[in-house]
Amino acid sequence: MTGAALPFVAFCIALNLTVGQITAALKIPLYLDSIGTVLVAVLVGPWSAVIAGSFANLLASAFGNPSMMFFIPVVVVIGAFTGYLARAGWFRKWYLVVLGGILQGVLAAIVSAPISAYLFGGVMMAGTDFLVLYFRSVGNTLLNSVFYQGLTSDPVDKLITYLLVYFITRSLPRRLLSRLRGASNLKNALSQHAP
Amino acid sequence: MRLDLSSKLALVLLIWVCAFTLDWFINVPLLVVSVVARYLVPAFRPQSRRGNSAFNKFLLYSVAILALLATLNAILMPGGDVLFALAGLKFHHEGLMFGIKTAARLLLLSVSILVFFVSTPLPDFIRFLQQKGLPSQLVLVLLLTLHFLDQLPGRINRVFVAQEARGAPVRAGLFSRTKSLVSILSPLVLSSIVESIDRGTALEVRGFLARPESSPVQIQVKTKLNALTLVLLLLSLGIFLLFLLRWLLAS
Amino acid sequence: MAARILVERFSFRYGPDLPRALADVSLDVPPGSCCAILGPTGAGKTTLLHALVGILGRHHPDSVHSGAMRIGKRAFTPLPRDVMFPEVGLVLQDPYVQLSGVRDTVVDEVLFTLENLGIATEDAQTRVEMILRELGIDQLASRPPTTLSGGETQRLALATMLIAEPQALLLDEPTSALDTAATGRLQQIVKSLHGRATVVITDTHVEFSLPLADQIVVLHQGKVLFAGTPRDFILRMDRFEDVLPVHGWWEVLNRFAQSSADQSQAADLLGKALAEP
Repeated sequence: MTGAALPFVAFCIALNLTVGQITAALKIPLYLDSIGTVLVAVLVGPWSAVIAGSFANLLASAFGNPSMMFFIPVVVVIGAFTGYLARAGWFRKWYLVVLGGILQGVLAAIVSAPISAYLFGGVMMAGTDFLVLYFRSVGNTLLNSVFYQGLTSDPVDKLITYLLVYFITRSLPRRLLSRLRGASNLKNALSQHAP
Repeated sequence: MRLDLSSKLALVLLIWVCAFTLDWFINVPLLVVSVVARYLVPAFRPQSRRGNSAFNKFLLYSVAILALLATLNAILMPGGDVLFALAGLKFHHEGLMFGIKTAARLLLLSVSILVFFVSTPLPDFIRFLQQKGLPSQLVLVLLLTLHFLDQLPGRINRVFVAQEARGAPVRAGLFSRTKSLVSILSPLVLSSIVESIDRGTALEVRGFLARPESSPVQIQVKTKLNALTLVLLLLSLGIFLLFLLRWLLAS
Repeated sequence: MAARILVERFSFRYGPDLPRALADVSLDVPPGSCCAILGPTGAGKTTLLHALVGILGRHHPDSVHSGAMRIGKRAFTPLPRDVMFPEVGLVLQDPYVQLSGVRDTVVDEVLFTLENLGIATEDAQTRVEMILRELGIDQLASRPPTTLSGGETQRLALATMLIAEPQALLLDEPTSALDTAATGRLQQIVKSLHGRATVVITDTHVEFSLPLADQIVVLHQGKVLFAGTPRDFILRMDRFEDVLPVHGWWEVLNRFAQSSADQSQAADLLGKALAEP
């Protein structure tokens, strides 16, 4: 990581852990707890994003939510996948951002399903547990039920996260972003808006 | 009994191995022992009020998890004898046992992590990782995160108030409120990038990026219980190998 | 040992299509002396300091530059590509970001610099305490850095550089976050560095650096408008009114006169300045 990337990654990890303060103040029923990871993936790179996501989950465990530790594989996938999408230029066009967000959500649902099913028995102490309950009651296995529940919520959450990052980054001055390695992921988009 | 961090981590590993390989009738007593240890063993006592409160909340959460997992699986997993019926719902033995096993495993894993972190100040843990070879750049990221975690709530509040004063629709409909996320996050991210550039420059001009990874003279605190770490690790290995053997013989 | 700083016709653009940030800047700062680079915001002062400390080329790989630099025995065409620390130390404009943010005490914060150099030995603590005493913040040794005032933070930032014994010390607008009392204390500290390190200060105001500098350089829009002694600068000060507005002109001259070693010469200078049309 470059010198400027180190504090930025730290800021984004902290953002993952405190974004709930913003969503609670705005009364928005979303987690957005991977927004910092996606920011790092787009502005720095995939492996920095993997580190950001993993450290965020580690610290969340340390702060009283031990179950977050088990979802580190999910954030590894989010960070790496988003980073490589960004490198391929997917954050330059809004429709690619939308598609990428949905794909990311599906991928997150696939990776988190076995963890939720095997370790948690499909019970996450959240409103979405009722969905798992419903899918099981109509004859699906636990694993499938958790996966279907993930499909209903993860793509929406990740899509909104992706769009937020897209709108935030397109307004950032290019001369600042050049100090973070991933700024070239936005080059074409930025050159239309930079002063 | 004083435990160094190596021993604590070895103990967490042992508990994890037990959680994944041993039967529920061993894991449940192990869970009870872990919870009791948090109160009786000085090395496992919370280092802060926040840690203490987090642990107590988790205990309540555990009861709910156990009840939910046992109940839901007893109802939804048909198999084995019907233990009883209530309000038209049948509670099956197989589902109940599956729920209890899953809950025991989950709670044992979670308690081990929670007891470790509430009894270990984070900066101490991070320094321990550095001693064990975590690169200094990653150590700095972790420590700076703690620094930002202190500052961010205040900064978020200031941006929120400023944006509301400018007319951002923070109290309008759901769609408008979601859009206003951009107006709150953008200045936060922009200011963090500006600060990161300055901090990054400061780290560079203080020679941090060229820092030699091999430490200068460090005083290594030798603990009397390094043997304990070894014993715990061997125990973990032994239990895992036994489980493997049992699985191979069974298949 | 202090290093000579020589800059020869240095020009710099941040990108091929961008205007020149610095244009044919030349500078010769003898070892152990103090040079004040004055100019308004955007003049190129920070760009020049970043070039000297070796981060400008690294951070802007698309930049276009020409000229040459020499810092001590090392020569560069046109500018250093690696961070020059510890030969050259840079104290940033905002002292709060100079601090690592990851050390719990003032002493540990200064030790962080030595750890980066791989020389945080057991006797380093004694050196740190000496530096803190010299800067008048030894009583804050065990305090968390986040609890210090602006002036104390500035002095701590200075300590984190001085501990490495740089041959040249660059101070980027060191008074921007300070009150009058803290500025006065900082002036005394910079004066005490004379001879130990070559000091380059950038500032938008003349009041702080005029009594300290052996030479004054006025920079505007990347070009050097003036380079000479403080005496010559005072005699021509009114010509830079648009670039360097001086508030309390008479008071500035008075303070300069009071801090000058030769009082009669200072009085003579004042008289000449006042008599100039």
